[in-house]
Amino acid sequence: MMMVDLWRRGWCLASALLVPLLALASPGLLQLDAIGPVWAVLWLLPWALVDGPISGALVGAGLALLLDGLHPGPVSELPALAGLGWWWGRLGRRSLVLERFLPLALLAVVGSLVLGVSLVLQLQLRGTLPVAALHVLWAQALLTGLLAPLVCSLWLLIWRQQLPGVR
Amino acid sequence: MQAGRGFRLSPQRLLLTGWPWMLLALLLLAVRLSKGAGLSDLYALVSRPFWPGTAQAEWLRAAQRLDQQSRLQSLEADNQRLRRLLGLQQAAGPLLAAPVIARPASGWWQQLLLGKGAWQGVSSGAVVTAPGGLLGRVVTVTPSTATVQLLTDPGSRIGVWVARTGEHGLLLGTGTARPVLRFLDRDARVRPGDLVTTSPASTLVPPNLTVGVVQNLDEQAMPAPEALVQLSAPLAAVDWVQVRR
Repeated sequence: MMMVDLWRRGWCLASALLVPLLALASPGLLQLDAIGPVWAVLWLLPWALVDGPISGALVGAGLALLLDGLHPGPVSELPALAGLGWWWGRLGRRSLVLERFLPLALLAVVGSLVLGVSLVLQLQLRGTLPVAALHVLWAQALLTGLLAPLVCSLWLLIWRQQLPGVR
Repeated sequence: MQAGRGFRLSPQRLLLTGWPWMLLALLLLAVRLSKGAGLSDLYALVSRPFWPGTAQAEWLRAAQRLDQQSRLQSLEADNQRLRRLLGLQQAAGPLLAAPVIARPASGWWQQLLLGKGAWQGVSSGAVVTAPGGLLGRVVTVTPSTATVQLLTDPGSRIGVWVARTGEHGLLLGTGTARPVLRFLDRDARVRPGDLVTTSPASTLVPPNLTVGVVQNLDEQAMPAPEALVQLSAPLAAVDWVQVRR
């Protein structure tokens, strides 16, 4: 599979702007106990699976910079999103089986938990960890996992149509 | 002599014939001594259909509101003047109404995004209130938006006091709907139901803004007692806020 073209297409990259916009809009129907899904994971997972580890890591880092601007304090999502982008990119090169519903959901749950744990560690160091951190962590992971088969499959379909050479 | 004997009545006969008049006299005396008891009640009963209706009551309430508003304004002006004389922090600047345009549901941070920013004069650190009391403070400003850190955010720390007992404390956000009030004194005489307002000693927020009500008190907490505070401003329902510039 050739995996270096997706990020060159401007509108594909611009679709990343949907992530902060959805994070801000926080649709009420897609919340679990006032906690929404991790939109960054739902967007980055299909991107990295199609476009490879380097593109995944770079785009993940860029996306994290956008999201970091939306919340106060020096806590960053960059290490987790860049790492996840790299990891998912490597996985995508190995097997297409990962793009079925269940593996997508599991990868999204793991990604949400990894991102959540990275935030927990940083907030703990700063002494501003919410008392309901575990509750937030599980609610996000559950909701992200439930939405992943639908949202990620749709993105995978769109990305593959943009790259005809890719299986 | 025969003519005079016809007008003379014995005491028994007088009592028998005059008792209704005596009863009436006693009744009148009772009304007089009780300042109209019975009579006023009778009048109220008879005249009830003609009492003032809801329109009159609404006029009275409107007049009362106007009276209270004008008294509040004069008291605030007095308060400002006295604080200026004493060299204390000013209570409030001009107010700016701003719409809430986003409530990110990340769970890690508790914040609001307002639709007014630097172009409208909002600056970082400005205090944000809503009907009910204090909501939080502006932490970041863009030209047309401002991000408010709510009192429930884990990073929020505001100096407050309980006016009834005069005890000061620090209101700490915990990420849940009810922040924790950590008292500075070991012997807190606070009880559930006490009103919590911003501290006159606070350098971050204007004094005496309503924050909430003490819900329960943990006297065993170390190093000082802690209380859960139910915020008075409805954080989840508010669509418009006021920014004190």
